Formats: sequence, structure tokens, C-alpha cells
Amino acid sequence: MNNINFRMKQKMNEVFSIEPNDLGTGYLTTFFKKITSYFKTMPFVYVIPFTFLISMFMYFVLGRFLIKLVTVLQYGF
Amino acid sequence: MDFKKISVNGLSSFLIVINRCAGLIFNPYKTMRRISEEKDVYQPALIIGIIFIYFKFIYYLRDKIYPATIVYILFIFNFVLTVYFFYFLSRLFNKNIKEVKLSSFVYTFIYSLLPTLIWFLSTSILYIFLPPPRTFSLMGKGFSIFFIAYSLSLLIWKFILVYLALRFSSKQNFFRIIYMMIFFLVWFIPYSILLYQLRLFRIPFI
Repeated sequence: MNNINFRMKQKMNEVFSIEPNDLGTGYLTTFFKKITSYFKTMPFVYVIPFTFLISMFMYFVLGRFLIKLVTVLQYGF
Repeated sequence: MDFKKISVNGLSSFLIVINRCAGLIFNPYKTMRRISEEKDVYQPALIIGIIFIYFKFIYYLRDKIYPATIVYILFIFNFVLTVYFFYFLSRLFNKNIKEVKLSSFVYTFIYSLLPTLIWFLSTSILYIFLPPPRTFSLMGKGFSIFFIAYSLSLLIWKFILVYLALRFSSKQNFFRIIYMMIFFLVWFIPYSILLYQLRLFRIPFI
């Protein structure tokens, strides 16, 4: 029983180790919490399609510059 | 006896590192919160060791201007500088100084190097199998779009991990973390340009 209590206390301390974010206005805080909830678990489910869309968009906007950028990045390690 | 103890501790820490890396992919918030409470010294030692192996590996691919060990020591210096910068800034912002622990910064920032390591390692491996320059053919364009999407994904992941590292180590709110990042970039961008001019790092390993 003591062990369960200790683990429970430890878990509570872990969860409440930081204050919740408050961005000043209620609307902004709610919006922020909604957005960040997508990044807390499995962020890549949203990140990968988003980045593919961004890179396609970049290709249509930048054209050949994007290919040159990739060449530069490939030398970047 | 001591060797046995060290090897068992090392192996268990290695398994924890793998578990944490998977956790940072699937469950970054929860995992980073646990990492901020970490006390096992073997875990950062393992990650730093893997990064050392990476620097030794790319030495054979780069221009070989500087020995790998020197570049690695510079990386350690950059890392320590970054950690101390955020640590002191958090102490300035925080009313309760006892809440801010240096160890928490070290552990969380070590783990936030994971996207950096993956990007650098994959780019160097791609350099062997698909060496630049990229062509304007259909395959070249397709690969370029894929590479940008891949790099952006890792960059976003890096931002998430750095934000969480700062959130759990400094215990500050969103706006203060953004201020801290801006303060960091104010000196880090010119510093990175200097490192580029000295041909030490093309893209800073941070």
C-alpha cells in the first residue's frame, strides 16, 4: 500500500512539476492548448504531411533554387 | 566485479536510451518530462559517445582540414555553452532558483540532440550513395522535394524537443521560452557564421 502511495505521489509530482501555460487571454490559451495537443503524442502524423505540402509549395515557388538549396544542404554535414 | 557492474549498468542504460529515443518520436511530451528527472550518468555518456563515433566517421568524408577530435571538442564546447546560457537565463527569470537544476538542462538537451544526429548521419550516408550536386531531372527534383520535407520534419521535431527541454528544465511559460530562444539566436547566429568562416562547421551541430 505504501509503495502504491509513494508511486502515486511520485507520478503526481511529475505531472504537476510545471504550471500550465497561460497566454494572457482565454481564447489564445485555448487555441495554444489545442495546437500543442497535436505535438504531444505522435507529432509525425501531422508533421510529415505538413512538411511534404510545404516542400511541394516551395518547389512551385522557388523552382530550381530549391534543387540548388538541396545541393548546398547535402554538403552541410 | 567492477567491470561487470559497469557493463550491466551500461547495457541497461543503452536499452533505456533506445526506449527514450522511441518515446521522443511517439510521445515527446511525456518522455521529455521523464528525462528532465533523470539521474543516470551512463545515458548522456552513451549519447556523447555515439556523437564522437559520428565525428570520426565523417572525418573521412569531409575535407579533413581539422582532426575529428578537435571538431568534437568544439561541439562539446558549443553544447556546454548552450546549456549554461539557458541555465543562467532560467535562473534570472525564475523566482525560485532551487527549482532550476543544471542536471535537468544537461539531460534534456543531450536528448534533444537526437534529431540533429539523425539528420547529420543520414545526410552523410546520402552523401556516399547519392552524392551532390542534384540534377534538374525528374528524379533530382523528386529527391529534392523529399529531402526538404525530411529535413523540415526533423527541424520541427528539433524545435518541439528544444521547447520541451526548456519547458521542463526552466519551468517557464511559453512566452519566456520564446524570449530565451531569441536571446540565444542573437549570439548563436553570428557565432555559427564565425565557425563557418573558420571551416569548422558548415551547419552547426547543435
